[in-house]
Amino acid sequence: MGTILIDGHIIPFKPGDNILQAALEANLEIPHFCYHAALGSLGACRLCAVEITPKDSSKAPRIAMACLEPLEDGLEVSISAIAAQQVRQHVIEFLMINHPHDCPICDEGGECHLQDMTVACGPPYRRYRGRKRTFSNQNLGPLIHHEMNRCITCYRCTRFYQDYALGNDLGAMRLRNEVYFGRFQDGPLENPFAGNLVEICPTGVFTDAIFRQHFARVWDLKTAPSICPHCSVGCNTLPGARDGTLRRVRNRAHPELNRWFICDRGRYGHQYSEHSARPLAPRASGADTSYHDALTAAASQIKSAQDCIGGLGSAREDLEGNAMLQALLNTLGGIYTAFSDPELETATIAAVSSLQNTGNAPSLAEIELIDAALIIGDLTAYAPMIDLALRQAYRKGAKLALLHSSPTPLAQFATTAMTVSPQEMRTTLSRLYQLINAQSATEDMTETPMTDIVASLMGARKLLLIGAIETLTAQEVPILAKLATALGSDTRLAYAFSGANAYGAALLSPAGSAMVMLEAVEAGQIRILIVAGNDPLGDSRFGPRWRAACRNLSALIVLDCILTATAKAADILFPVAAWTERGGTFINYEGRAQGFAPVFHRPEYLPSVAEVITDLGQYLGHSLQAAPSVLGDIFSDFEIPKPGTTGSLIIAPSLPMPTTPPVHSAQESCSSMWQAALTSWYGDEALASFAPGLMVLIPETVAMIEPTSAIDAGIKNGSQIKLRGSSGSMVLPVQLNQGVATGTIAIARNVLAQLGVGHGDLLELEQVL
Amino acid sequence: MSWPTSIAKGITDMNNILKGLQKDLLHLPRTHPKRRATAIPAMQALQAELGYLDDAAIKKITQITGLSTAEVEELATFYSLIYRRPTGRHIVRICDSVCCSMRGADQLLTAAEEYIRTSLGTVTPDGALTVLPGICLGLCDKAPAALVDGEALGPLNDASLKALLQRLQKED
Amino acid sequence: MEALLTRHLEPAAPLNLAAYQATGGYRSLTAAFDLKPEKIIGIVEAANLRGRGGAGFPCGLKWRLRGADAPSPRYLICNLDESEPGTFKDRYLLYGGPHQIIESVIVSAFALQAERALIFVRGEYAKGGNALNQAIQEAETAGLLGTNIRGSGFNLQIEAHLSGGRYICGEETAQINAIEGRRPNPRPKIPRPSTHGLWGQPTTTNNVETLINVPHILLNGADWFRKLGVNGGCGSKLFCVSGKVKHSSLFELPCGTPARELIFEHAGGLDEDRTLLGFLPGGASTAFLLPEHLDVAMDFDPIAVAGSRLGTGSIIVLDNATCPVEVTLNLMRFFARESCGFCTPCRDGLPYLTQILTIISSGAGRADDLALLDELCATIASQSFCAFAPGAVMPLVSSLKCFHDHYEHHVITGHCPFNETNKKRA
Ligand SMILES: Cc1cc2nc3c(=O)[nH]c(=O)nc-3n(C[C@H](O)[C@H](O)[C@H](O)COP(=O)(O)O)c2cc1C
Ligand code: SF4
Ligand code: FES
Repeated sequence: MGTILIDGHIIPFKPGDNILQAALEANLEIPHFCYHAALGSLGACRLCAVEITPKDSSKAPRIAMACLEPLEDGLEVSISAIAAQQVRQHVIEFLMINHPHDCPICDEGGECHLQDMTVACGPPYRRYRGRKRTFSNQNLGPLIHHEMNRCITCYRCTRFYQDYALGNDLGAMRLRNEVYFGRFQDGPLENPFAGNLVEICPTGVFTDAIFRQHFARVWDLKTAPSICPHCSVGCNTLPGARDGTLRRVRNRAHPELNRWFICDRGRYGHQYSEHSARPLAPRASGADTSYHDALTAAASQIKSAQDCIGGLGSAREDLEGNAMLQALLNTLGGIYTAFSDPELETATIAAVSSLQNTGNAPSLAEIELIDAALIIGDLTAYAPMIDLALRQAYRKGAKLALLHSSPTPLAQFATTAMTVSPQEMRTTLSRLYQLINAQSATEDMTETPMTDIVASLMGARKLLLIGAIETLTAQEVPILAKLATALGSDTRLAYAFSGANAYGAALLSPAGSAMVMLEAVEAGQIRILIVAGNDPLGDSRFGPRWRAACRNLSALIVLDCILTATAKAADILFPVAAWTERGGTFINYEGRAQGFAPVFHRPEYLPSVAEVITDLGQYLGHSLQAAPSVLGDIFSDFEIPKPGTTGSLIIAPSLPMPTTPPVHSAQESCSSMWQAALTSWYGDEALASFAPGLMVLIPETVAMIEPTSAIDAGIKNGSQIKLRGSSGSMVLPVQLNQGVATGTIAIARNVLAQLGVGHGDLLELEQVL
Repeated sequence: MSWPTSIAKGITDMNNILKGLQKDLLHLPRTHPKRRATAIPAMQALQAELGYLDDAAIKKITQITGLSTAEVEELATFYSLIYRRPTGRHIVRICDSVCCSMRGADQLLTAAEEYIRTSLGTVTPDGALTVLPGICLGLCDKAPAALVDGEALGPLNDASLKALLQRLQKED
Repeated sequence: MEALLTRHLEPAAPLNLAAYQATGGYRSLTAAFDLKPEKIIGIVEAANLRGRGGAGFPCGLKWRLRGADAPSPRYLICNLDESEPGTFKDRYLLYGGPHQIIESVIVSAFALQAERALIFVRGEYAKGGNALNQAIQEAETAGLLGTNIRGSGFNLQIEAHLSGGRYICGEETAQINAIEGRRPNPRPKIPRPSTHGLWGQPTTTNNVETLINVPHILLNGADWFRKLGVNGGCGSKLFCVSGKVKHSSLFELPCGTPARELIFEHAGGLDEDRTLLGFLPGGASTAFLLPEHLDVAMDFDPIAVAGSRLGTGSIIVLDNATCPVEVTLNLMRFFARESCGFCTPCRDGLPYLTQILTIISSGAGRADDLALLDELCATIASQSFCAFAPGAVMPLVSSLKCFHDHYEHHVITGHCPFNETNKKRA
């Protein structure tokens, strides 16, 4: 560690850094375009010119590019030297030659780096007298708008897209002053992180096409620090609202989590809160009503059904809402859980329990530094930013081993990717555990992929084991934890949960209560069900049972901000605030409690779940404590994390490993040889699936089958098959896909739900048409 | 291995070359650096056969190289000798750089454009010719010079150029 | 001087292996394999062989700096991309005698202990490249390439790459990208290609003319080579003379031969015996020199002292019927068109310069345009990413000085003094 002198300021530097990095670190702004903290130096834009005073005073000072200039102790640098200013002025003048000067109608207005740099360095007048070069734009899909004439050729877009996010459908074409950043042909950008182009582009070439549909000038946007509600990673975001509507979401740097980027689900999923079918008025007995009347109706229903009440919270609802619901149920003597799927409940609790035993999950910054990983399932769909972090590890040479039942984008970067059917996952993991415990890879050639995986895991120093909970069972979750212990202390364990607050939900839900609740509803012992932010009727595996059971209810009371199947069936519906319309707390996959602030309020009165429950308590004659003190009782010393801070790990009583036996839906009647596997894509999430922009990109509905299994069954690519599940049958076109396990049919969540089949359940292939 | 180019058309059998390339390369993993190195030879081979690279040819290159269409396009659009637009049966590149220009290349280009009655870089309606301006061809001692299907010609004047174009137009 | 490098060039029908060997070809392999690689490098250093690709960097020093302990595989790249306007010497070498190139590459690779060599051939030279490929095959069959060449224990594979075509591909690091199948933008100079070059391995790039001197140096010694030159120059040099001369061609002459001799004796003087206006001594990316420089030795240092560069040793001659503004505009168009587009000063600065020059040459220039050109050139030359842009503005900066009156005439009268209509009026 040494110091350098920049315009008289003494600046410390880290070894390996360059002048620009040291200056930025010390909050000294050196103008630049092509340098980006995540992408490093390139030296293409030539804006970061500084003057260096030579040690030998007989030599003339020289101009250098700060981003390329290594540091040495005592180096003297001037940003303000006239010669350096002159270079920067020329560079800006060059860059503005072809710029369209369409700033009045440019979406980048107010946050345009080019404009800032031009004001800071450039000549205030134009000397170039020629014509401008013009480009035609491409249609890059529903999420990103393309305006190539504004380009200043800093190469940030392709460096992010190709080098960082490992996408391959955006490139730099042509040469000279005609370099063109685009796709081979018009069409939506395919990378799930493409939306970051909007932020990484220093001018208005790539802008947010969704924001554009309902544009506001950025200085007119109301913003507040927030947390992404679309998965358990908990990326920090900055939503912006105007005139009572949410317009966009941008990244907000968290030093250990998302830093510069977020995924497209996080950026564009917010449209659910502006969905045309969003419930905005309370409803009772099929008609809109006032909040007061809805509360009165709900209270009277509950009173008349004393002791026969269940409360279903949600992994996508905040800690406050879940805790208040639990408190109400405690008061009323009913049952509470946050999970409608008993499988998912046990798996999630097992995962949290495992993490409590083995040590916390690594942050994204730590994941980037691992040198090997074992990945179970599809992280791109369930924790996109963990996928992006693993791409960084891969770029640095990490070996990725993958076990999956259906196609997953990370497979293309895996050293070993092995398809395993859902029902074989457990034996496969156990075998892996045996091999690792025996401390030697078998010589048995029939086990090749397994031995490769064992070798790559045992050869690694910093290791990550990670599984997607959605497609793991409660039996498989602890095997992963056992593997982590067997592999030694530098092995980190993580799970991609389903739901932004799944970790918190698990801490509040007693193991087994989902099954108890479902059976109680089926048996008519529960007459009133309060559902907050959950969709039991739309569940793929248990949906059919919930739908049948709910006919026994005297009232289904639903609190939600999206129109789910359950919300549609509600007897009493309380529309609640979406996450930007209230504050709250999510606990992410690491166990980190992070607070989000209300960004704005809609014209309608939309309370949070916690508020509705508090009010309902009031109407029932119970004065519940406020959420902070409820939470304080559950988690000793708990303080609601302040929005905008980095959050802190939650300290919770340790959860026992659930012992509840696995609950498979009744499958005895089915003698099929085919298993169903859930196949997902990055837009597949409860809230985001109400975002029209993302839904345009939904992959075609097909049944994916591994080629040899298909041939054995006489099925061809493109042929139609009829599938039957517990709640019906469907005809689907077949797509042969190497990424599916043998004997497995991979289908999307909505199809599973229609068939009433869960991941790993048997699926009947009725007919090849 | 022999070199296929549009400049020296028909000197190779595309299929053999592509088969050879594919055989050599298919056993390499996607990330092996050598595989992308076949992009230019593969483009040259295909172009020798097709005259230019259409979108289908670009897709073919992706199979050989393991690159995406965008990555292949990044390369194809950089190089002056890779054509992404149709070309005539004969390609005439007239040098417009300093030595040739001093010795009359500018008039030569004007004359050529008048003769072919389409703009430089496009194909004549009979499909026979594409006339292009080109950078210094390394033929400054023959200025003003041209490369005709890879064959060096020069010095040219209006009359000899016209005769040349006439002859080419009649040839297959 | 007896032709050394061009003696056995037969453009119509280049010598095959047997014929080439009959002229004494491949003899240098025996000489080389008897020596230790460091010894060869020492001899090349002593011979003061300077790079013929443009920059004139001492070849032996470049080889020594690569280091004997560089990790394998090590690469030698023979640069035959020749696209510098005015330069056609490498074409003669390629079309005239591919075996001479192969022999040079073998002994040079041996000196560098490089087990892989690439010859990067300009795309327009495809026909010559095909002959080169055949020659490589011949040499392979004859055991001159491959493993344990002639029992020396030295292994070498030579492969040729045919360029897709662009001037920038001649730049060392852009060339490496081109070979790897990446966009041929230049690479940062740290780490150096000598440690992290092709495929991340130690890589040495030399112009083909540089390399073909090596066999002769080995066979005849460093002293002999140095003495080939005149006026302080070392060795034999291939000079191209083109432009407004009677007999434009390639001439092999002692390094240090003055331009006067080249232009007036060998190239037969100017067209119609016109008066010399000025000349570019080393290709398009060098500075103009004036008649007063005719007697400067055509060697690296003297030409540098005169304010230009020997570059590729390619003289482009302007007579007094040629408008220097027009010629400079043509050069700038060339460079603006061939910019790789990576860095701002070159990508956007060169078209800017071209635009101003276009205005001046059309007669619509303004008095302050000349100062503006100078001002912009200063930044473009010094702040670009690679050596392309500094080379590109060299002729312009010098043209503004050497032919200042011509520029002023354009601006003040609004006419080109050489314009056809003007000439008629005169
Ligand atoms: C824009 C540019 C183009 C170049 N083109 C060539 C070329 O065509 N042939 C060549 O030998 N060197 C060329 N060079 C020089 C090479 O980068 C490199 O210095 C040279 O090949 C080294 O060989 P030498 O040391 O034997 O001269 C070029 C350099 C630049 C900056
Ligand atoms: S100076 Fe810059 S734009 Fe020009 S060729 Fe070099 S890197 Fe490319
Ligand atoms: S930031 Fe240094 S050159 Fe672009």
